Amino acid sequence: MVQVALTIDGLGVDFEGFKAVNNVSMTIEDGELRVLLGANGAGKTTLMDLISGKTKSTTGRVFLHDTEITNWEEHKIARAGIGRKFQIPSVFRDLTVRRNLEVASCKNPGVFANLRFGFGSQAKAEIDGVLELIGLTEEADQIAAYLSHGQTQWLELGLLITQNPKIILLDEPTAGMTQAETHKTSLIVNNLKGRHTIVVVEHDMAFVREIAERITVLHLGQVLAEGDVGEIENDPRVREAYLGSKGIG
Amino acid sequence: MSLQRRIDWGIYAVFIVLLMVAPLVMDPFWLNRVAKYLVYGMLGIAVALSWGYAGVLNLGQGLFFGAGAYMVAMSLKLASPTSLQQGSDRPVPDFMLWNAEPGAPTELCCINKGSFLWLPFQNQWFGVAMALIMPMAIAGIIGTIVFRKRIAGVFVSIITLALVLLVRLVVIDAQPVTNGFNGLTDLGWFKIAGFEFDPYVVPTYYLVAVSLSIVLVGARLLVETRAGIILQAVRDDENRARYLGFDVPNYQTFFLVVSAAIAGFAGMLYVIVSEFASPTFMDLSFSITMVVWAAVGGRASILGACIGAILINTISATVSETEGFAEAWKAIIGLIFVLVVLYLPRGLGGLAHDLVARVAARFSPAAARELRAANTSQLAE
Repeated sequence: MVQVALTIDGLGVDFEGFKAVNNVSMTIEDGELRVLLGANGAGKTTLMDLISGKTKSTTGRVFLHDTEITNWEEHKIARAGIGRKFQIPSVFRDLTVRRNLEVASCKNPGVFANLRFGFGSQAKAEIDGVLELIGLTEEADQIAAYLSHGQTQWLELGLLITQNPKIILLDEPTAGMTQAETHKTSLIVNNLKGRHTIVVVEHDMAFVREIAERITVLHLGQVLAEGDVGEIENDPRVREAYLGSKGIG
Repeated sequence: MSLQRRIDWGIYAVFIVLLMVAPLVMDPFWLNRVAKYLVYGMLGIAVALSWGYAGVLNLGQGLFFGAGAYMVAMSLKLASPTSLQQGSDRPVPDFMLWNAEPGAPTELCCINKGSFLWLPFQNQWFGVAMALIMPMAIAGIIGTIVFRKRIAGVFVSIITLALVLLVRLVVIDAQPVTNGFNGLTDLGWFKIAGFEFDPYVVPTYYLVAVSLSIVLVGARLLVETRAGIILQAVRDDENRARYLGFDVPNYQTFFLVVSAAIAGFAGMLYVIVSEFASPTFMDLSFSITMVVWAAVGGRASILGACIGAILINTISATVSETEGFAEAWKAIIGLIFVLVVLYLPRGLGGLAHDLVARVAARFSPAAARELRAANTSQLAE
């Protein structure tokens, strides 16, 4: 039997009368890759904010496996096993690529536990592997501020891979990328499939086709439909609300 | 060890050796002066730690310096001959006697309402301990409140700036206990195992020089620990660090406390070499001057900020005493600040790194590449 990794139960938030996310429920299985689709303002990013603790929900609950994590502080949710990539790539700009990954590799978050030198040979081997996976081995000693936009996105993915959370939330990982970069990103994400449970918010339909298994469509803060690529493409409500008459792609 | 680090530590070693041989070429008057500048250098380190590494621009560093200074000054005041007037064997600060109400008992416990606070300071080591504990406690409280509430950037600067002014006001206002704006003067000498540290003798200079060397190396090692690297990550992107699972306020508070301890320690040494403590330590202009030292020296470099402080003070002293410049010296110092900020945004520390890289390029292109990569890590802005 497949275990459920993430359970969202009637989750909602009320911004002074405006319900950005309203009574959303879904379950995501262990090892699944779930795509969240929806027009601008459908509540996709807000839903990620609610799961990861950036925004406090006003209704509903979130479970990571059997642990309720509703409205915990961000760093506690992160330690519980949820990693997040932001829409605007955020990395440690004044540190080298390797240093970025070293910071992510710290298993113990406490100040006093980290009053020692070096990150250990095991971490080094791990980081070398991650560098290879995200294709930044050559740039390992470069300052992150000087990476290209695409490389910065991959570095942030690398931070998540090093952090090694059970669930990875990706908010538009291909935003602003060229086609070639998008393709490379889909290879990285496909490589993570199975090892992590992944939730992706994405607009780029070519990318969605390359990675998607199950898709959940959000519309005006609510779940409109759920299914595989074919089902979603042919769902008349989805076409009306989001895809227009053109279909996916 | 990388080439960059070897050169860095080499420069540290040279600096410390220079500190140690300075007494061979200086007379006691200059030695005392330089000791004061070394104390300022320690303040530069404190600023670099909080501003350069934690990204917290504290405009109230003088609060911690002043707290450290007053704590030790209270002990040294009680050790002063002026506190043992009229043949009494129990010390009472002279200003308390002058201002005592008629008929008040001439005892430290009860000469006025607040004088009992001075009782434990009869032990010099209590004063020394408090000179560290007090700034750390204040920093711990400020840090916990400010960083838990996720106050950042310019707002932290405004809060710290307001706090140092507030405390300065309280110290001036609490005249019966603190001697108000006169501060604490006519202090006794600091003693270790019977040895008295006269401010104008060589051992006092070494007390400061060795302290500075230890703080310098300690601070440098601290920013190289994992915690120091995580702190720099927090500086670059607080949110990213948070979502990697780090409890960000803990890191910010910890390093603010360390920076406060260094400033408090500096305050203590300053009192030992200058023989007074005054509310001017908590003047706004003094706290801002410290920031300028660090900016000139390079806030991203521990040693740079330290040398910046020493250099600026030495230059101001020399220039202001040169005939012809006596009037204009403030303008000259001001001009140096403006030029450095305009043309050397990474300060003298950044300039030194660039020069080392350029020289290395002459000899070995590979080493130069390595250095250039390391250089850019000195705060890209």
